[in-house]
Amino acid sequence: MTARRWKSKAGTRAGASCALLLLAACSGRQSALDPAGEDAETLALMFTVMVTAAAILWLCLNGLFFYVTRVSPRRMSRKLANGLVIGGGILMPLVLIGALLAWGLSILPDHDQPGDGLVIRVQGEQWWWRVAYETPEGDVISANEIRMPVGERVSFVLDSHRVIHSFWIPSLGGKMDMFPGRQTNLSLRADEAGIYRGQCAEFCGASHAWMAFEVEAMEPDAFDAWLAAEAAPAGPPDGGAEAIGRQIFAREGCGGCHEIRGTEFQGQVGPDLTHVGSRHSLGAGRLGARLEDFSTWIAHTDDLKPGVEMPPFDHLPQEELTALAAYLKGLQ
Amino acid sequence: MTDGKDAEKHEFREESESLWRIAFAPAIWAIHFVVCYAWVSLVCVKFGGDPAVMRVSLLAISAVALAAIAWLGWRAFRQWNVRDTGDFTNPEGEAEDRHEFLGHAAFLLAIISAIGVIYVSMPLIIIEGCR
Amino acid sequence: MSDTSRFDGPSSADPELEGIYPPTAEMIAEPMDPELSRAQAERLSRAWATPTGWRYWSSVNNTEVGVWYTLTAFCFMLLAGLMALLIRLQLAVPQNDLVSADLFNQLFTMHGSAMMFLFAVPIFESVSILILPSLVGARDMPFPRLSAFGYWCFLIGGIFVIGSIFFNVAPKAGWFMYPPLATEDPGPGSDIWLLGLSFIEVASIAAAVELIVGALKCRPPGMRVNIMPLYAWYVLVVGGMILFAFPPLIAGDLLFELERSFDWPFFDPTRGGDPLLWQHLFWIFGHPEVYIIFLPSIAIAAMIVPTVAQRPIVGYSWIVLSAVGTGFISFGLWVHHMFTTGLPNISLGFFSAASEAVVIPTGIQLFAFVATLMVGRVKLNLPMLWIAGGLAIFTAGGLTGVMLAIAPFDFQAHDTYFVVAHLHYTLFGGMVFPIIAGVYYYMPLISKKLMSKRLGRWSFWLIFSGFNITFLPMHLSGLLGMPRRVFTYPGGLGWDIWNLVSTCGAFVIAAGFAIFMFDLLTHGRRSALTPRNPWGGGTLEWTHDVPEANWGVRSIPYITSRYPLWDDPNLVERMDAGRYYLGDSAEETRETIVTSVIDARPLYIQPITGPTWITLVAAAFTGGAFIFPTFHMYWPAGICGVLAICTIITWLWRDTARPPKTHMADVGLGLRLPTYASGSRSAGWWAMWITMLADSTAFASLIFSVFYYWTAHPDFPPAGSAHPELMLVALAGICVALAWGATFGAREVNTHGRPGLARALLGGGALLSLAAASFMTLSVTDLSPKTHAYPAILSAITIWMGVHSALGALMQLYCLAGSTFGKLTPRYDADLRNVTLYWHFHALAALIAAATLGLVPLMLT
Repeated sequence: MTARRWKSKAGTRAGASCALLLLAACSGRQSALDPAGEDAETLALMFTVMVTAAAILWLCLNGLFFYVTRVSPRRMSRKLANGLVIGGGILMPLVLIGALLAWGLSILPDHDQPGDGLVIRVQGEQWWWRVAYETPEGDVISANEIRMPVGERVSFVLDSHRVIHSFWIPSLGGKMDMFPGRQTNLSLRADEAGIYRGQCAEFCGASHAWMAFEVEAMEPDAFDAWLAAEAAPAGPPDGGAEAIGRQIFAREGCGGCHEIRGTEFQGQVGPDLTHVGSRHSLGAGRLGARLEDFSTWIAHTDDLKPGVEMPPFDHLPQEELTALAAYLKGLQ
Repeated sequence: MTDGKDAEKHEFREESESLWRIAFAPAIWAIHFVVCYAWVSLVCVKFGGDPAVMRVSLLAISAVALAAIAWLGWRAFRQWNVRDTGDFTNPEGEAEDRHEFLGHAAFLLAIISAIGVIYVSMPLIIIEGCR
Repeated sequence: MSDTSRFDGPSSADPELEGIYPPTAEMIAEPMDPELSRAQAERLSRAWATPTGWRYWSSVNNTEVGVWYTLTAFCFMLLAGLMALLIRLQLAVPQNDLVSADLFNQLFTMHGSAMMFLFAVPIFESVSILILPSLVGARDMPFPRLSAFGYWCFLIGGIFVIGSIFFNVAPKAGWFMYPPLATEDPGPGSDIWLLGLSFIEVASIAAAVELIVGALKCRPPGMRVNIMPLYAWYVLVVGGMILFAFPPLIAGDLLFELERSFDWPFFDPTRGGDPLLWQHLFWIFGHPEVYIIFLPSIAIAAMIVPTVAQRPIVGYSWIVLSAVGTGFISFGLWVHHMFTTGLPNISLGFFSAASEAVVIPTGIQLFAFVATLMVGRVKLNLPMLWIAGGLAIFTAGGLTGVMLAIAPFDFQAHDTYFVVAHLHYTLFGGMVFPIIAGVYYYMPLISKKLMSKRLGRWSFWLIFSGFNITFLPMHLSGLLGMPRRVFTYPGGLGWDIWNLVSTCGAFVIAAGFAIFMFDLLTHGRRSALTPRNPWGGGTLEWTHDVPEANWGVRSIPYITSRYPLWDDPNLVERMDAGRYYLGDSAEETRETIVTSVIDARPLYIQPITGPTWITLVAAAFTGGAFIFPTFHMYWPAGICGVLAICTIITWLWRDTARPPKTHMADVGLGLRLPTYASGSRSAGWWAMWITMLADSTAFASLIFSVFYYWTAHPDFPPAGSAHPELMLVALAGICVALAWGATFGAREVNTHGRPGLARALLGGGALLSLAAASFMTLSVTDLSPKTHAYPAILSAITIWMGVHSALGALMQLYCLAGSTFGKLTPRYDADLRNVTLYWHFHALAALIAAATLGLVPLMLT
C-alpha cells in the first residue's frame, strides 16, 4: 500500500478561511479538499469562497430571525420590513448569485478542454476499469490503475461496457459519467507527483463500493519509462514457485478470462494481467498488492467483492495459491 | 350611477380577468429556456454549424423575450395602479383590489422572469463554442 | 382561467342565480331563530354522520380519509426511517458486514423511494385533503369518493412496494432506477418499483386534480383570489406542478416496463436506445418534485407565521409571486442532476443559470416571513419553534444548493455525501420540520386537543441536534471523497470518524421521533379539549367545532377579508347559528356551494357523495391490474383491469351528474341557486380539463422521446427500417377527426333538443373511435419493436393512442346509455360536455400522433 502523501501549499491557502484549514487537516488522498491538480485546485478555492460567504449569509439571516422573535419581539417599522424583502429577497441575491454564476460559467468548459497529447481510454466494467494508453505504436493495455505525467493535461476518453459508471479522481478534478454506447471526455492535469485514489461515483450494482483505482502522477521521464515497460510483453517466470504458479494459472483456466501479453493467455473478459505485479492495488482498489493479497483475492473473490464474475478459487490448497500469487506478483 | 362608475365596474368585472395572465411572463421565460436548450442541442449535437451564429441568434431571442416581459410588466404595473391608489397590499374583498392584486402579482412575476431570462442568457455570453 | 371557456358554447342549463348577492350587512346581522337553528343543525348532523362500527371504513369524508392518509404516510415514513437507521449502522465503521451489499442496496433504494413517493408527496396531499376544506370554509372536498379511492390506491400500492423488502425482492437500483442497471436487474424488484409506484402516481394525480378544483371552485362566496389563504395558493401551484411533473415519469415508467416485460429496447444502447432518455424523463419529474415537496411546507409556515406575529402576512403578493415563480422555474433545473453526463457545456450553463435563478423566489418567501415577524408583536408558540428550526436547517441546505448549482463545483460534489447532506438539509428543513410544526399547529382541528408542549420541546431539540450531528459531517465526508450509495468503505481515507458521528446522530433523531410519535398517539388520552382557537389564528379553519362535528362548517360564510376572524368579531357566532349559506339540509343530503374561480360568486349547489364501499373495491381491482403484471400474470391483471373499469362506471353512473329533483334550491340569505351545472360552471368539467392537461403532458413526453432519439443519434430512424403504413395512419387520423366531430355534434344537437340524433351521433362516434384504434394498431404491425428503439417508440405511441381511443369510445357509449336511460337530457348534459372536452384533447393528440407516425419518418430520413 502507498504511504500517505503530505504536502504543503501555503500559497493557495493563504486566503483560505480557518474552516478550510480545519478541513484540510483531515484530508486524504481521495479528497477534493487536498488538491494536487489544476482543476481540483480551482474548485477547492471556489469552495472556500462559497462556504465562507454562505456561512456569513446563514448567520445574518438566522441572526435576524432570532432577533425579531426572541430579542426584540416588539413591532418594527413597516418600511424597514418592505426594504428587507426587496433588498434581501431580490437585490442582494441578484448581485451575489449573478457574480458567482459568472465565475462558475467561466470555468465550466475547463473540465473537457483539449489535452496536451496523451490520451487514455478508460472503460467501466462491473466492477473494474479497462485502461488503454494511446501511443503511436498502438494501444498499451492495462487495468485498474492510471499513471500520468505531472504537469501535462491528459485527455480521458470514457465509456462503459454495460451499466453507467462515473470516473472520479477527487484530488485532480471533477468527475465524468461513463455510458455504454456513448463516449464522454474529461481532461485532468496533475501538478504534484504522488499516488491518489479514484473511485466510481455512479451507483453501478452490488459492488459499486469496491470499484476504485490508484492513480500515480509521475515525473514525465519516469512516466515515459514506465509506459515503455508497460508496453512490453510479460517476462518469463523467474524461479520455481513462479513457474509452478504459471502452470496452475494455465490448469485453472485463468487465461480464458485474463490476458497476459507474451503468453498463450489471451482472455478478454477480465482485467489484463500483463504487469499486474507492478500495480498498487488488487481487485480494483479492493486490496493492497502484497504477495498475500494476491492469494487472499484469488481464494475469496466473492466475499471481498459481492457479485463479482470471477469465481473464488478457495478449493486450491494454500501452497498452490501462494505459487499463483508468486507468479502474478512476479509480472512486474 | 354615473357613467364613470359603470366603466369602472366594467374594468373590474370577473370575465375580463384570468389567472392565466399572471403566468404569461414566466411562460415567456419557459419558452425562451426551451428554445435555447433545443437550439443548442440541434447545433451542437445533431447538425453542427457555427456556434457563434447560434449564440448571437439566441441572444437576439433573449432580447425579444426581455422586451416582451418588459411590456407585460409595464401593463401589469399599470393594472396594479399603485401610484394612484397608494395601496401596496390590496387586502379588501372588492373587485378593485382583486384587479390590482392580480396586476401586482403579474408585475412581480415579470421581474422574476426577467431575472431568469438574463441569467439563462449568461452562458451564451460567457461560454464559447459547443464543447 | 376565466369561467367562460373557449371550448363551450352557451349552455341551456345555465340559469343565473336568483335573489340577492352579495348579502347586505343587515341581512347578515339579523339574528337566527334558535329553534330553527337547532332543527337545522340536527338535519345537517344526520346528513353528515360518519358511519360507525366496521362501516366506518366506508367513510369518504375529508376528515376521516385525510386522517387515514396522513397516518399511513407517517407509517411509511417511519419504516423508511428504520431503513435509514440500518443504513447508518452498516456505515458506522469501515468494512462492516452487518448487512450484505445486496440488502444494503435494497435498503437505500427503498429508503429514497418510500420517502419520496410514499411520504413526501402523499403527505402534502393528505394534509391538504384534511385541512383545505376548513381553510376555505367548505364542507368537504369536491369529490370525496375520489379522495377515498386515492387513499385506498395509496395504501395498497404502498404496502406492495414497501413490503417487498421483507421478502428480499425490493428494487435495488437506486430510487432513480437508472437503466441499464435497473432494466437488467434480474429479480422482480424493478417491476415492483415501476408498477407499484406508477399506481401511486396515478392516485397522486387524482388527488392533485381534486385539490386544484377544491381551491378554485369550492371557496366560500366572496373569497376572491386576492384574499384566499396563502395555503390555497400553494395548493394551486403545487397541484399544477404535479400535473406537469408526474406525467413524464409515468410515460417513462410505461417505456421502462415495456422494455422489462417485452424487451422493447428504449434504453438499450445496443439496439438504438439511450439510457440518458430515462434520466431526462426521470429528472423532468424529479426536480419539480423537490419543490412539490417543499412548497406545501412553506405554505404551512405561511399560515403559522402571521398567527405568531398576530398580524397579516407582509407581502401577500410577494409570496404568491414566489410560489408561482418557483413553480415555473423549477421545471428548468432538471439537468443539474445530470451535470456529469457530458452534455454540451453551454447547455449545462442554461441549467446552472436556472438553478441559481430559482433561489430568488425561494429567498423572497423567507424574507417575507422575517418581515412579518418584524412588524408584528411576536407571540412565540411551539409550532413556531419547529418553523424556526426548519428555517435554520433549510437555509443551510439552500446555500449548499447554490454551490451545487455551479456546474464545475458539482463535478466534484455530485454523487458524494456532500449531496446527501445537501438534500437532507433541504428536505428536513424545508419539509419535515414544517410538517411537524403543522401537526402541532393543526392538531386542535383534528383531535380537538393540544399536544404536549414539554414533549414537543424535547422532541424538537433531539431531532434538531441529532439532525445536525448526522448530516453536518456528511458535507465533509463527501468532500473527502466518499461517494454515495456505497455499502461500505475502506478505512484510512479520513471518512471513518465522520461516519461514526453521523451514525450516532441518526439515533438521536430516532429518539426525537419516538417522543413525537408517542405524543401524537397518546395526547388524546392525556389532555382536555382545546379552546376553539388556541393560537389566536385569523383564518377560517379556526371556526371549527369543538367537540367534533362532521359537517365541516355549520354554515358557509360570506368572506370579505384575508383574516376574517380578526376582522369580523361576529363571524364565528353567526356561522354557528347557521346565519350564512347552506345552514340547512332539507333533504338531509350532503351538499356544498360551488363558486366561480376568480371572485367566488356562488354558482350552484353540488351534491356531495356519502359513504360507500365502491371506492375500496375499485382501488382493489385497479391495484390488481398494476400488481399482477409484476409477476408476469397478465390474464389476472387484464381481468382486474376490466373489473376496475366496470366498478368505476357503476360508481359514476349511480352517483354523479344525476338530474336533480328540483331545479333551484334556497341556500339562505335570500339566495336561490341551481342544483345542477354543466360545462365550465361545474366542478366536474374543471376536473376533466385539469386531468387532460396531465394526460397531454404524458403524451408530449412520448413525442419528446421520438425527437430526443433523433437529436442524440445520427442513425435515427435506422437506415432500411420499416415505417408505419402511411395509408392506415391517415385513415386512423380521419376516423378520430370524425369521431371528434360526432361527439361535438352530439353535444350541440342534444343542447338544441334533439337527443335522438345525439344518440345516433354518439353511437357512430364510438364505432369510429374503435376503427381509429384498429387502424392505428394495424399501421404498425410490420414494425418489430424488439429490434430497435425506433419501431419500439412508434409502437408505444400507438398503444397510447389505441387505449385513449378505446377510452373515448367508452365515454361516448356511456353518454349514449345516459341519454337512453334518462340520466343525460338536453338540459342536464354535464356528462356529454365533459366527454366532449376529453375529445378535444384526444383529437388534438391523435392528430399529433398521426403526424408523428406518418410524416416524421419521411422527414427525418
